[in-house]
Amino acid sequence: MKRVFRLEKIFIAQYLKQTMEYKADFFVGVFGVLLNQGLNLVFLKIIFSQIPKLDGWSLQQIIFIYGFALIPKGLDHLFFDNLWAVGQRLVRKGEFDKYLTRPVNPLFHVLVETFQVDAFGELLVGVILLVMTTGTVHWTWVKLLLFILSIPFVTSIYTSLKIGTSAMAFWMKKSGAISYLFYMFNDFARYPVSIFNNVVRWIISFIIPFAFTAFYPASYFLTDKNIVFNLGGLVVISIVLLFISISIWNKGISAYESAGS
Amino acid sequence: MSSYLRRYRPFIVAGIEEATVYRSNFIIYLLGNTLGAFVTYFLWKAVFTSSANSSLNGFTFPEMVLYIFLSFFTGVLTSSDSSTSVGDEVKDGSIAMRILKPINFAANYFYEEIGNKIINLGLLMLPFFGGIVAYQILGQNAPAVNWINILLYFISAIIAYLINFYFNLCFSFTAFFFRNLWGSNLLKNALVVFMSGTLVPLAFFPAVLQNIFKFLPFSSLLYTPVMMYLGKYSPKMIVSMLFLQIFWLVFFIVLSKIIWYFAIKHLSIQGG
Repeated sequence: MKRVFRLEKIFIAQYLKQTMEYKADFFVGVFGVLLNQGLNLVFLKIIFSQIPKLDGWSLQQIIFIYGFALIPKGLDHLFFDNLWAVGQRLVRKGEFDKYLTRPVNPLFHVLVETFQVDAFGELLVGVILLVMTTGTVHWTWVKLLLFILSIPFVTSIYTSLKIGTSAMAFWMKKSGAISYLFYMFNDFARYPVSIFNNVVRWIISFIIPFAFTAFYPASYFLTDKNIVFNLGGLVVISIVLLFISISIWNKGISAYESAGS
Repeated sequence: MSSYLRRYRPFIVAGIEEATVYRSNFIIYLLGNTLGAFVTYFLWKAVFTSSANSSLNGFTFPEMVLYIFLSFFTGVLTSSDSSTSVGDEVKDGSIAMRILKPINFAANYFYEEIGNKIINLGLLMLPFFGGIVAYQILGQNAPAVNWINILLYFISAIIAYLINFYFNLCFSFTAFFFRNLWGSNLLKNALVVFMSGTLVPLAFFPAVLQNIFKFLPFSSLLYTPVMMYLGKYSPKMIVSMLFLQIFWLVFFIVLSKIIWYFAIKHLSIQGG
C-alpha cells in the first residue's frame, strides 16, 4: 500500500510539471468547467423562475444535489481521467503495450498516470454550491460522517463504469463512444428521479446506476428518509459494479493483442 | 461549374467513405446526445406539470417538445468539426499537404464534411425529422405541419451550418495558444449552447440579455431556424433574421481569411 501512494505521488508530480509548462491550458480548462457549471445554474434559475417547486423539490435542494454530484465526479476526473484514453486511442494504436511491460499492475498504472487539473473547476463549484445550500440540510455529526463516507463509494461508481466500458476496447479496439454513451446517462442523475418515466428510472437506478451518484444519496441528506435504500444501495451497487468492471478488465487484458506491425 | 464539381468531388467521396467506416461510432455518439434531449424533455414536462400556467413565455407544452427535439436535430444538422485540426496542422507543419493542392484551403475541409453529412443525415433524417413531423400530426394540441415554415427552416439551417463552419474554422486557430483543446472546446461549447438557445429558448431570458443574445452570432446558429419552424416570426421578422444570418456568415468568412493570411505568413515548414 505504501508503494502505491509513493508511486501515485511520483506520477502526480510528473504530470504537474507537464501541466505547468502550459499554464494557459490550466486556466482555460478550469475556467471552462467553471463557466459550464455556472451556466447550468443559470439554467436552473430560469426554470425555477417559472415554478415555485419542481415536483416537490425547491431550488435550494436541487442545487444541493448538483453540488453533491460534482464532488465525486470531480475526484474521478482528477485522478482517473486516463481511462478515456484507453478506449479512445491507447489500445487502437498499440500504445497500451507500454503498461504491460512495467512492473506495476497495468490498471493501476493507467489510473494514476494522469492528474487532470481541469477537475479543480468541478471540485471548486461543488464545494461552493454545497456551502451555499448547507442550510437546507439538517446536519448531525452522524450525517456528516455518512456524507464523507459516501463520497468514495460514489467516486467508485464513476470509475467502475469507465473501467468497464474502456476495457471493451480490448476486444473492439475503440470504445470511447461507448464510454461516452454511458456517461451521458449522468445528466439524468442530477434531477429527482420522480420526474422520469419508469424505464428511465429503472435504467439509472440499476443498469447504469448514476442515480446513486447524486440524487439518491443527496435525497437522504436532504430528507432523512430511506437510509437503507439511499445509502445502503449506494454501497452495494458500487461494490458490485467495481467487482464486475475489474473482471471485465482482466478478461480484456488477456484478450488484448497489440496493434500494428 | 462542372470543372468546379470535378475538382471537389474526390473530397466529398472521401468524406462519404470515412463516414461509412465510422458509422457505428457516429450512431453511438448520437444515441448519447439523444439522451441529453430526453433529460431536457422530462425536465420541461415536470416544469409544465408544476406550473399553474399552460403556456410559459409564449411556449405551450407541445411547442416546447417540438423546440427540444428540433433544437437537438438542428444541432446535429449544423454541427461542424472537420476544421478543428487546422490550428494543429499549421503548428506541426502537416498543413503543407493541403497547401500543395491547387484548391482553396477552406473548401478542402468543407467538401470532406459535406460527404460526411450526406451519410449522417441519411441515417438521421427519417427517425428524427420523421418523428418530429409524426408528433405534429398525431400529438394532442401539437402545432400543425406547415410546409412553408419547414422550407424556411431548412434555408435558415443551411445558412446556420455555413456560419458554424466558418466560426469553427476561426476558432480552431486557438490551437496556437492552447494545447488543452478539451478545455477551450468546453469553454466554447458552454457559451454556444447557452447563447444559441440550445439549453433554454432565448425567450426565457430577461429582456436585456435576450436582445443582446439575439444580435450575437450564436442565435443564428440554432434559435433562428427553430423559431422559423415553429412559426414564431412575422414575415418582416423572417426577412430581417435571414439578413442577420447572412451578415454573420460574411463576417466569419472574412475573419477566417484574415486569420489564415496571417497564419500562413508566419508559417515555416521544416524538414522534407
